Amino acid sequence: MTGAEPVVLFQLGPRILAARAGGVERIGNPREEGASRLLAESCLGRPWVPLRSLIVLSEAGLEAGLCVDRVLGVRSVDAADLLPLPPLAAGALSTAAVAGLVMLDGAPTPLVDLPTLIREQQQAAARDARSTDA
Amino acid sequence: MAEPSDAPRAAPTAPAPGEAWLFCVRAGGGRYAFDAALVSEVVRLGTLTRLPGAPPFLPGVFTHRGDVLAVLDLCQALSLPAASLGASARAAVLRVGEWRLALLADAVEGLAAVPRRTLEPPPAGSGPAAAWLTAVGRDGRGPVAVLDLARLVAAARDRSLGS
Repeated sequence: MTGAEPVVLFQLGPRILAARAGGVERIGNPREEGASRLLAESCLGRPWVPLRSLIVLSEAGLEAGLCVDRVLGVRSVDAADLLPLPPLAAGALSTAAVAGLVMLDGAPTPLVDLPTLIREQQQAAARDARSTDA
Repeated sequence: MAEPSDAPRAAPTAPAPGEAWLFCVRAGGGRYAFDAALVSEVVRLGTLTRLPGAPPFLPGVFTHRGDVLAVLDLCQALSLPAASLGASARAAVLRVGEWRLALLADAVEGLAAVPRRTLEPPPAGSGPAAAWLTAVGRDGRGPVAVLDLARLVAAARDRSLGS
């Protein structure tokens, strides 16, 4: 495989995670964003100190984002270093938002599909709201 | 009895007549075994990458010879307390059906030649592993419960898909 792909590396609680940079609209400050469109907590965990937010566009063109502790930077990785999850793990996770792994300095780092994560969390919140109303 | 090592382990040689070659591990105070032919080597686990949303029986992944392998905690798969993931933790790299994985347990014992005459059907109600046992037997180190690892792994994965 050839080609390079930029990925955004970020810290969320104790974890270092990655996301495709092309899917990130901008990096924001949670204090300056509308709290209602930010995920403060998700299946990825909760940031210790939410200093940054990764903002993506939904299919409807609306901004939504994920609060993280820090954005560590953007790295260009070889396409060969973007790997699928091992077959045993693929499908066994409770979320489809872990889309694969990025090899960084020889270590696998979870690659997060931010739009999928946000969609899943919004759907879960909508389900919770419906069950509360019922 | 072969000792666990970090060096690649050759496929087991043919057992003596009347012996079954099994690979033994310890989990939750019990001694469990499975077909030794499934195991390619024993490795020391380095730092694991934990996967968000992973079920308890999948404590993480790690790289091994250029491949990323999922680690399966046998203890958790048997509904026992989780295996220790200390710096000295070792795992058996094996292929179970379509899956290549690293099996973690409380301790890796290694190869054992278990006399076939000692192998019997598992007794009813043999603890948390009962559903996955194919036989129980005994060698010089004591009793051993033989697992149908393929069925255990498939069931653990199915449980996570249904949860």
